[in-house]
Amino acid sequence: MAATNPTRHLVVDGREVALDPEGYLVDLQAWTPAVAEALAAEEGRELTADHWEVIEVLRAFYARYEAAPAMRPLVKAVGLELGAEKGRSLHLMRLFPDSPAKVAARLAGLPKPTNCL
Amino acid sequence: MSEETAPAMLVILRHAPHDSSWLREGLDVALVAAAFGQRVTLLFLGDGVEALRPGQSAGALGQKGTHPTLDMLAMYDIEDIRVDRDSLERRGLTPDALGWTAAPVDVESLPALIAGSAAVFNF
Amino acid sequence: MLLHLLNRSPASSQVPQDALRAMGAHDRLLLIESAVYGAVAPQADLYAALEGRCFALREDLVSRGLVEHCAPWIAMVDMAEFVDLTAQTQRTVSWY
Repeated sequence: MAATNPTRHLVVDGREVALDPEGYLVDLQAWTPAVAEALAAEEGRELTADHWEVIEVLRAFYARYEAAPAMRPLVKAVGLELGAEKGRSLHLMRLFPDSPAKVAARLAGLPKPTNCL
Repeated sequence: MSEETAPAMLVILRHAPHDSSWLREGLDVALVAAAFGQRVTLLFLGDGVEALRPGQSAGALGQKGTHPTLDMLAMYDIEDIRVDRDSLERRGLTPDALGWTAAPVDVESLPALIAGSAAVFNF
Repeated sequence: MLLHLLNRSPASSQVPQDALRAMGAHDRLLLIESAVYGAVAPQADLYAALEGRCFALREDLVSRGLVEHCAPWIAMVDMAEFVDLTAQTQRTVSWY
């Protein structure tokens, strides 16, 4: 769940976007592709087409199920939407190192996944 | 193969949607276990069978329902969903009239299902 | 053999019936908290078929003024016996 009290703001296109202590959006409606790019840039990541299609899968997942997926269902959703070749944890680990479910959810403007760790 | 045949963990859901938080908490336990690769069986019993009724929506004040979570179970590979037949009948429901596919359990097989599970979480 | 713990009264809840239907032929039932109201006639009839494997926690009967009224087919247990019961069972299932 996004915290209600922002601890810092990210300036995107002259607009202030509030972030919670873990870097997730306080207001999920504030997400735009530019916000995702700014969040990624902060961590030194650059979003490629491979990243974007996963971000789209995540946003569709959230729109349908009202929850951010843990790693297993994320792998499954990516596999169903983008094909078995991409529905593998290795592919996601390469795109979103460390913790793909958490990192990708953050970039996609979703709450922190509650069902992992 | 042995992983397939080993007893699953059983989560019993006995509370209705939009009531207490018990239904949601039970579903969360099932999701966490499944996210870690545990095989999970869900049993809807008593008022819990109301969670399977079709046509649910968010609350009047926008409170989230549990129906999107039920849709999500398949994404967590939770496929073994059972429902107590007596509880359905008492509420005028039949297995065919549910919004989700659930295998009806007769009263004779209920004790074996519970006794044969690797662990039981009763919500 | 499982030990089922129940804390709801049959007068106010369907939960006792759900617990009974879920019980195996050798499972035991222990009534605690408000469930002990069900240990008194006529509600205790619900548990008559469980004679020998139905128990009620004495301290919960005492505090509710029921200790003189517990049905003969329901055995009163104190806390030490409650602990023994849980130790004898492979698993405990709570009904609330």
